[in-house]
Amino acid sequence: MIDIKRLHLSFDGVNDVLSDIDFHLASGEFVAIAGPSGCGKTTLLNLCAGLVEVPDGQHLAVASKPPVLGGHDVAYMLARDSLFPWLSAIDNAAFGLKVRGTPEPEARARAQTMLKRVGLAGYEDALPKALSHGMRQRVALARTFAMPSPLLLMDEPFGALDAQTKLQLQDLLLQLCQESERSVLFVTHDLAEAVALADRVIIMSSRPGRIIADVPVPLPRPRSIRQLQTNDAFHQTYAAVWRHLEEGWTHHEG
Amino acid sequence: MKANLVSTFTKHAAFVVIIVALWEWGARTGVIDQSFVGSPLGIASFTYNNLLNGRLWGDLGWTMLSVKLSFILGSAAAIGVGLVFVTWPKFEAFCDPYVNALNVLPRIAMVPLFILWFGLGVGSKIAMGFSLTFFIVLSSTVAGIRGISQDHVTLTRTLGATSRQLFFWVTLPGAVPVLFSGLRLGLIYAFLGVVGAEVIASERGLGQQLAYLASTFAIDGVWSLLLDLALVGVFLMKVMNWLERRLLHWQ
Repeated sequence: MIDIKRLHLSFDGVNDVLSDIDFHLASGEFVAIAGPSGCGKTTLLNLCAGLVEVPDGQHLAVASKPPVLGGHDVAYMLARDSLFPWLSAIDNAAFGLKVRGTPEPEARARAQTMLKRVGLAGYEDALPKALSHGMRQRVALARTFAMPSPLLLMDEPFGALDAQTKLQLQDLLLQLCQESERSVLFVTHDLAEAVALADRVIIMSSRPGRIIADVPVPLPRPRSIRQLQTNDAFHQTYAAVWRHLEEGWTHHEG
Repeated sequence: MKANLVSTFTKHAAFVVIIVALWEWGARTGVIDQSFVGSPLGIASFTYNNLLNGRLWGDLGWTMLSVKLSFILGSAAAIGVGLVFVTWPKFEAFCDPYVNALNVLPRIAMVPLFILWFGLGVGSKIAMGFSLTFFIVLSSTVAGIRGISQDHVTLTRTLGATSRQLFFWVTLPGAVPVLFSGLRLGLIYAFLGVVGAEVIASERGLGQQLAYLASTFAIDGVWSLLLDLALVGVFLMKVMNWLERRLLHWQ
């Protein structure tokens, strides 16, 4: 789904933002990217979404093609609450479909189904100001999953939520992914979240961002966030990811 | 809550009645010089006659026509130019010194020129109202569009939105809160500009009637007209508040 070979990126031609990135995301795979602030995680996501141009001569392919901004293969979910405050929950959930040309009745019907799926039946006409942070991110999840895009790019979608809401939404995301067979590239600061959700966790070093570890997560699916808390493999993988991240800091400081 | 409202209203009513009664008493007993400050009964009598003889309605219609046209034309032009500025920032940078110079110029000083160019009719009043409304709405248009959430823009771009979709579905509704505060101020200034120009020289209008009454020492009439102008201002604000509630119910 994503194929990157020895990618280097610099915005000013002097300092590398990303260095020597080799990465492959298979169809149906869920990969989390973790790393310190400013290591280029979001930039990598933006490259895949076509928001940042891939430099000439570099190889980055999404669905075997160079990334195109607005390509229907990709659905992007931002870190912050990005609902439109003037649209109701259902109109927000249908927004992506409408922009991509789905007729209004069909888009609204699909949005309604997704709102119900994320636990917001009865809130269709609510404006974002009437919803909690968690509910707003549920609407954003509904908007993302309403689109049939096979690749989801998620940039710390639960970063601003309280711990309890975060766990609920992680569980919801696991269920949605299991139901709809998407490929997901998920950026996060939260290592426990990365291990709980992903098939692999990619660890990046400080700037220039490079991949310092690719840790497989040996946890079966379907998963439940609550059950993972008592799972030894979860804790061992979490410890391994931490170790790699610390090594990255040591290398950087050294 | 209701009791509080009644109590507040009673306090204000009592305050106004006391002031008016003192004023009337002062005017009748000669403590206050009526020829300079008028009297409440004189003002009431003038207002009654002005309402009945149709002069008020004619002048009000004349003034409001100028306010309406200067506000609509000024706002439309400002929004158009604002869009051009946001689309081509280099053009905005080029125009910036001229826009600033015109904006800081005391517009009332241009009235003699507007009268020469457009005559004593509504033309010069519209020009005056336009010149004030335009710059206020222009700056709020630019600020409103520049201030829209970049997350909304990013998200919409990743969805593959056309420029038209981005503008009508994201930029415009996102800019409305700031744009609307500019429109509200623009309307007040259109009113101010039109009445100001009418006071200086006009065929008709509330400002012209006010200037005529002041020049003939008809102080009761001046007060009556000032009261009318205040009521028109309040009415204009009520209209804008109503529009704001409709347009920005989501805030």
